Amino acid sequence: MERLLAPALSFLFPGPSYVRRLTFSLLFFAGCSLVARSQTRDFFPAPQDTVLLSKLCTNYQQHYKEELNQLPSTNKKDFQEIYGDRWKNIKEKFDKREIYTDADAQKYLDALAGEVVRANPGLAATPFHCYFSRSYIPNASYIGEGIILFNMGLFDRLANESEAAFILCHEISHYILHHQENSMNKYVTTINSEEVQSRLRKIKGSEYRKNEQLESLVKGLTFDSRRHSRDHEAQADSMAVVLMRPTRYDPAGALTTLALLDGVDKDGFDLESDLQQVFNAKDYPFKKKWLKQDNGLLGGHARLQEQETSDSLKTHPSCPLRIKLLTPMVQAAGRAGMGGNAAGGGGNAAAAVAGPVVDAAKFAALKERFKYEVVEYAYASDDYAESLFLSMELLQARPADGYLVANIGRVMNGIYRAQKAHRLSKVVDMPSPGYPANYNSLLQFIQNLYLEDIASLGYYFLEPYHPQLDRLALFKTAYEESARNVKEQ
Amino acid sequence: MRYSTKKGFSMLLAAAVSLFYQAVRAGDGKLSIDKVYSAYLRNSGSIIAKNQIKGYFFLYQSDKIDRHTNQYTLQILDENLNKVKDIKFEDSKKLSLLESSYNGNTISFLFKNEDNKTLDMKIYDFDGKLKYSYSREFDKKTDELMKEYETRHTDDGMNKNVFDLGDRGYVSVLPMRDGKQRTYEVDYYSSVNKSQWTYVPTDDAEKYAFAEYMGCTDSLIILQVEKRNHAMSGKSSSHIVGINFITKKKQFDVDYVNEDQILVPCSVAPLEGTNNLMIIGSYFDKGDNIDKDFSKGMAVYEITTSGKILTKAYNSWAGDFAKYLPTNRKGKIDDIGYLYIHKVIRTPDHKLFLVGEGYKRTASALGIAATVLTRSSAMGVTKIMITDMVIMQFDEKYKICYAQIYDKNDNTATWSNVSDYNSQHLLATYLKMTGAFDYEFTTGDEDNTNFSVCYSDWVRSSDYKGQTFNTIHYNGKKFTTDKIELKSKASTMRVFPAKSGNVMILEYFKKDKRLDFRLEKLG
Repeated sequence: MERLLAPALSFLFPGPSYVRRLTFSLLFFAGCSLVARSQTRDFFPAPQDTVLLSKLCTNYQQHYKEELNQLPSTNKKDFQEIYGDRWKNIKEKFDKREIYTDADAQKYLDALAGEVVRANPGLAATPFHCYFSRSYIPNASYIGEGIILFNMGLFDRLANESEAAFILCHEISHYILHHQENSMNKYVTTINSEEVQSRLRKIKGSEYRKNEQLESLVKGLTFDSRRHSRDHEAQADSMAVVLMRPTRYDPAGALTTLALLDGVDKDGFDLESDLQQVFNAKDYPFKKKWLKQDNGLLGGHARLQEQETSDSLKTHPSCPLRIKLLTPMVQAAGRAGMGGNAAGGGGNAAAAVAGPVVDAAKFAALKERFKYEVVEYAYASDDYAESLFLSMELLQARPADGYLVANIGRVMNGIYRAQKAHRLSKVVDMPSPGYPANYNSLLQFIQNLYLEDIASLGYYFLEPYHPQLDRLALFKTAYEESARNVKEQ
Repeated sequence: MRYSTKKGFSMLLAAAVSLFYQAVRAGDGKLSIDKVYSAYLRNSGSIIAKNQIKGYFFLYQSDKIDRHTNQYTLQILDENLNKVKDIKFEDSKKLSLLESSYNGNTISFLFKNEDNKTLDMKIYDFDGKLKYSYSREFDKKTDELMKEYETRHTDDGMNKNVFDLGDRGYVSVLPMRDGKQRTYEVDYYSSVNKSQWTYVPTDDAEKYAFAEYMGCTDSLIILQVEKRNHAMSGKSSSHIVGINFITKKKQFDVDYVNEDQILVPCSVAPLEGTNNLMIIGSYFDKGDNIDKDFSKGMAVYEITTSGKILTKAYNSWAGDFAKYLPTNRKGKIDDIGYLYIHKVIRTPDHKLFLVGEGYKRTASALGIAATVLTRSSAMGVTKIMITDMVIMQFDEKYKICYAQIYDKNDNTATWSNVSDYNSQHLLATYLKMTGAFDYEFTTGDEDNTNFSVCYSDWVRSSDYKGQTFNTIHYNGKKFTTDKIELKSKASTMRVFPAKSGNVMILEYFKKDKRLDFRLEKLG
């Protein structure tokens, strides 16, 4: 279900794409002005308001039930099933506490969206709600029931409020243009159409080459579905600029955002050398064999053959093409900041900063905070490898950051516990050819460690920070646990 | 978890139903893609290189082409369960995939084609392109022998027929029936160029021979061959045979019967840094019948690649082993019984470890009662119990220097009349053939720096009652143990070998009709 709907919903990551990392340099320059402050102010994750989450979920569930009663009577069971799947996905966001409940952040997000609504009175007829998602994935999505999720992993990469506004407007456009509902409707009616049913009957009656015929049918349906998704994305981009035009936001933010996203999968962070540096203790020196990986076909690091890249089969046009399509509209809006550069894909995002609309200081503070919240959420949602990866990445620019140091220790302890209980695969991914090289290197590193290595690496990593960081409960607990683990070995 | 198509065997098995498509549904009475689509899993297994699991294969029948032909999809997974390749091809309706092996550059698959009565070896490159294809015929009698041969290898995660010879290619060792002869055939398949040759023993002494692959060097295929004078002979001799795959000739064939002892090898391995080989096995007094008499102990020989013995070391049950284990001169250990050697492991620092498991014959009260009451001996008056695991270590001179018994609960292997009449050696072979031992497999680094010996057990304690999967792990310095309780929310839970240091856990959830596979590192 999620796969089928994703093309119409997500801003950046349609379908089964993989998340890529920003270059380290980009992160570094974006974050360097904050280093000094982060070293003096420790990060503490915002507590999640479970009562609020439960209340919100109940309200949306009621909305979902009312929606079910209004579904078309033809093929009703299929509609109920597909809407049921959508609701299951929404409910999971609340159950897994992915929705960020911090009142201050919510107030800011409401203000960002409020500016759009105020300037576009027509939107009042179709109420929607925006929430920050604690996900590290640089994405935003309309998930149904009037809910728009703005992932922290995307927000913390943006240069200004206009870029954030474009992302909100893009998702609002998906919502008001009923892209998701239209896709679901098209899906159900197509599969139940006389044409498809007749072809299926014919195929079922065939004795030979049945699956070959099915493959051909599915290819046609997929092509059609992708074409519609692509159209939806282009429509949402255009409508977003239309929505931005009467606001105080700069429509050029659309172009800089797309230019930023075009480079979001560049991977310039050298994790292997970082691992060798971070986990090289005098009493437990780094061993090269921990980085060993089999690059052959069967070692988890095979180079997959390029997927079909013909543009006709892509779910979305690439970002440069989207920029090209959008540039005339942005220029027509009269405040184009960098259309030409962005269209070339090489624009400098920082150059297009528009004046603050809501609260520039709050925007910067949230960006800073979200860099840590995603680390915390990855750990809280049992995604230890991701939490470690994000911590390592951030620690490069912020060495000795108390929270990051403590979290790395905490993750190593968690990995130790999981491996001991034969549950490591539940909290750490296996290397896969589909993952970015850096993330794969980290996964392989974890795979190459024996239990005694995990215990020792955690302990000897934390040890130099003791007792300076004992002021942090997170550090103290992690350090004590790591000492017990080493003793146990 | 990172955004990706999350892998796992549950996904793979779902693929058996819907191999290519998302399930496309439709309401009652309507057809849907997944209702029309069908694919059947024909065979699955491990892809093995140098005794290490490097991946998995699944052969699906993915379509019917005509009356005689099917389309197949050969799905290849890497060691982490990622799908890396789908190879589609058309072939006979009666096709099965026996085994697969990997040599770092190519993957070989040995197919059995029941229509053409051929064994087809196909060698693919990394792009899934068929590089070489070889074919040989087999007859019905050879087929029966092959099936019998399969039952003699019950360890999970070990190939039975196909082995890699480094980057040169592959070898298969198969039983063969030629008239009244029951012998063996060695097939060499090059992965470098289109070249294949077959070695079939020609001398009279090998008319009734059974061969087992032991290992290879850069030029030799080493076999252990049991020979008999005739098919029903009660006396056999054990040989080590070296076949040179460069010259395509037998290089040596030695039975290691010297002045005083007979060696019955159980393992052969190249000695690192030399051109020599190490042979380890039970030894008997000269004149003993190795099928009936008790062995005297364990011996280790170093030999050259021409078969010449360089060094010999003997460890007697009564003398050497008794220092570390409560052993009598027949090799029987108190409470444990006799030892079956499952695995010989040599580490980079030249330590040698033997993994053994105990078995003993005990009186069966039920068997005695049944024999008296029914006057039938079918049930037997004794039963065979499988007892503890034993790890033994040998020093650089191949003398035993350490032994440790790992307790597990005794279980009954058999109480048929097999247990009453057979010798220690034949009983052990029978137990291995029937998979009666609790030893499962050994997994570890390719050079054995670290290794884990795995076995199953049944625990009855106040905390837990049920089956357990156990490992004895060696980290290069010391042994530690680990245990996985196989009782979970799943209806069934099983453990299979996986890549080095890992196991694959299968959980079947009956209510959800769901089968989950996951890899877990051993603790």
